[in-house]
Amino acid sequence: MSNYESMSGNGHAEAQGPRVGERVDQLGSSAQQFFTDARGAVHDLGAGLDLKGRVQRNPYGMVAAALGVGYVLGGGLFTPLTARMLRVGVRLAMLPFVKDELMGMAEAAVQGFASASGQGSSSGSESSAV
Amino acid sequence: METNPQQFQDKARELQARMVPQLEEAAQNLSDLNTRAINFIRANPGTCLLGAVAVGFLVGKLASRR
Repeated sequence: MSNYESMSGNGHAEAQGPRVGERVDQLGSSAQQFFTDARGAVHDLGAGLDLKGRVQRNPYGMVAAALGVGYVLGGGLFTPLTARMLRVGVRLAMLPFVKDELMGMAEAAVQGFASASGQGSSSGSESSAV
Repeated sequence: METNPQQFQDKARELQARMVPQLEEAAQNLSDLNTRAINFIRANPGTCLLGAVAVGFLVGKLASRR
């Protein structure tokens, strides 16, 4: 109400008009300054992280990292899908060790079988000789 | 209908001779695709990273909804 009254007055309305215009101009310049600062901050961040260089060196890795960042931002971190992916990853990471172990066991078994058969054949020939 | 080992071996060789060029072609195609993808990512890093973040965000949203 007080604004309306002040605007309705003759002298006040003319004084309020330029003030609003100044305010709008000030807001515009502030917004422009904000955008300039934000752009500079993004540019500085990009230069500091050396995103372009990292993408040039390791393109697939950076895309995977960006996927992971998006996944976490989307709230998918503490979900059953993450647990399942972790389980699959651990199993895949353990695969080479398990393969080496199995190969060692198989080689030992084959060697044991070969030595046992060699002993058996030699004892068989000895018994046949006796 | 007897198939002796020689016939079996010949058939295996024939199959190998037919399959090997196709496999080599597929490997060449995959290699070309890989090169093109790497070149695209290197040429448009911002687009690719933002797209990857967006895709990850969507997958994370879908995973958290379940």
